[in-house]
Amino acid sequence: MTDTTLNVDHVTKRYGSSSTEVTAVKDVSLSVKPGEIVLIMGPSGSGKTTLLSMLGALLKPTEGEIHLNGTIISALSEKHLPDIRLKQFGFIFQDFNLLSALTALENVSIVAELAGMKGVAARKKSAELLADLGLAGRLNFLPEKLSGGEKQRVAIARALINNPTLILADEPTANLDSKIGHEIMRLLRQIAKEQNRSVVIVSHDQRIKDIADHVLWLEDGQFKEIVSMAIDPVCGMSVEREKAFHLSLNGMDYYFCAKGCRDEFAADAEKYQQTNEASF
Amino acid sequence: MILLAFHNLFQNKTRLVISVGGVALALLLILSLDAIFAGVEHQITAYIDNSGADIFVAQKDVRNMHMAASAIPASIIDQVKAIEGVEIVTPILYVSNMVVTGDKRNLAYIIGLTENSPIGGVWNLASGRGQPGKSETIIDRSIAEMSDVELGDTVEILGQRFTVVGFSNETANIVNSIAFISLDDFQALRGSPDVVSFLLIKTHSGLSADAVAALLESKIDGVTALSRTAFSSQERRVVKDMSTDVITIMNLIGFLIGLAVMALMVYTAILSRRKEFGVLKALGARNGQLYQVVLAQAFMSVVLGFGLGVVFVLLLSGIIPRLGLPLSLEIRPISLLKVGGTSLIIAALSAILPIRQISGFDPAMVFRGT
Repeated sequence: MTDTTLNVDHVTKRYGSSSTEVTAVKDVSLSVKPGEIVLIMGPSGSGKTTLLSMLGALLKPTEGEIHLNGTIISALSEKHLPDIRLKQFGFIFQDFNLLSALTALENVSIVAELAGMKGVAARKKSAELLADLGLAGRLNFLPEKLSGGEKQRVAIARALINNPTLILADEPTANLDSKIGHEIMRLLRQIAKEQNRSVVIVSHDQRIKDIADHVLWLEDGQFKEIVSMAIDPVCGMSVEREKAFHLSLNGMDYYFCAKGCRDEFAADAEKYQQTNEASF
Repeated sequence: MILLAFHNLFQNKTRLVISVGGVALALLLILSLDAIFAGVEHQITAYIDNSGADIFVAQKDVRNMHMAASAIPASIIDQVKAIEGVEIVTPILYVSNMVVTGDKRNLAYIIGLTENSPIGGVWNLASGRGQPGKSETIIDRSIAEMSDVELGDTVEILGQRFTVVGFSNETANIVNSIAFISLDDFQALRGSPDVVSFLLIKTHSGLSADAVAALLESKIDGVTALSRTAFSSQERRVVKDMSTDVITIMNLIGFLIGLAVMALMVYTAILSRRKEFGVLKALGARNGQLYQVVLAQAFMSVVLGFGLGVVFVLLLSGIIPRLGLPLSLEIRPISLLKVGGTSLIIAALSAILPIRQISGFDPAMVFRGT
């Protein structure tokens, strides 16, 4: 067992050759721990999609290595990758990408069956998972009959069905209104923290910063600045650790948006610690 | 994956109807052609099969009637009668010619019958008399209906007018019909009273027709004697040999139409779900698992098309006789097997192109929004 789920080591991806060569991702390194949520942001054309495809073993890097739970997946042959994708990754897509001819239940169970689970068991596990995500009454609905939030919940259930260690989400809130988008992100955070799964999100949505443990800014194929985020335990705001007001208490580090919040916390730390544990 | 194929197939009803209907029509073409030729094979030997004769004696090396001419001396009739096992001998004259009704000319086997012949005559009389007298004829009922000929009208056969005194059933097929006239009239028209075409023989009961036929050939020079079964089989073989090329070409056309329809439908069905196959690939589905979906979808389509094609041809076989057409469709198990096999080949071939497509799908496209 390694202490990091995902370790990206000096990865570069180039397309084309000589005069037509384009470097989409340049010497990128990253590590994601179990239960950690990493948000990758950046402008269009910055290399986010290329990086996400490489993290998901859908694309091989030109240089560098990608380790998943200690296995160098970037070195694996094509015939081993479907199994890795099926059992180690959970994918969540911008436009849900549910199979339109299958019901919510079938959309989830088909992925379990692809991994070798028998039909009845796969359906039972899928139904339980969907019920946990609040979709018990929507099992036999086709995607076209589901709302955007429900579709994304089905997609999350599909991502979780084979117990992946890493969830890769591509713009998971892009097609959702702000309320539903926020719910989905809270759900992802809950999954990451309660089930100790690592989550890598690629998004333009600034609101996702609130739930991320780390935010990375990708531009011209390189991480420009790595910002560690934390939640102010008093007001709940997302704050950049390096710029926030800081307090160390009983061996724990706390970050605050303002001096007032820090003072308030210091006055009754026990109260805010309990509140903080209850959230997310 | 089979479930996915099933749902994919049935989700778009219009596409399903077009693909299954197209395949059904193509298979109907093959099935109905087979059924028509099976019916023709059966009809073409109707005279032989229903003649009542156990043995047909013809000029040496003549082994069938269709497009054949046989001439044997009438003088051998007594010799034949003397052969052990022969009970009844009836000579007939036969030529392939026309029954002319007004401006319509209908190809027909003209059979010259002796008076009160116990075998070789009409076996299913629709109306009128079954035995032709001088200048009289019995023609097929459906031919008469199509030509507006009624009992008592005259028709022209071998250049002479004959009065229609009877209508027969089961004596017409897609190729021709049978018209019966008297042997005397036939001989008079031919101007050769000492020659007949065939001898129809009834054997004593309990004797093998093949054995008596063999005995006949050994005792009488210049003749070929075949049991009714063998003679009928030869007749069918001749017709089959003549029609094999036509059947092959039409079957090929049916096969190509079916293949084109299926290939197009499977191709467009897969193309329309390109992204979904990409998603499955990204999620970890192997190419082999995706090929199963394509193949299952193609096979389900052709199985449905085959079933529908069989229903169509069964309906046709029920409708055509009611239309009074001299055509019967006979659906043989071997035809069903052949068309079933053809369907499977169509399904497999139509899946090749989509399978090649899927193998080239880049799963990373799911992140590119393509």
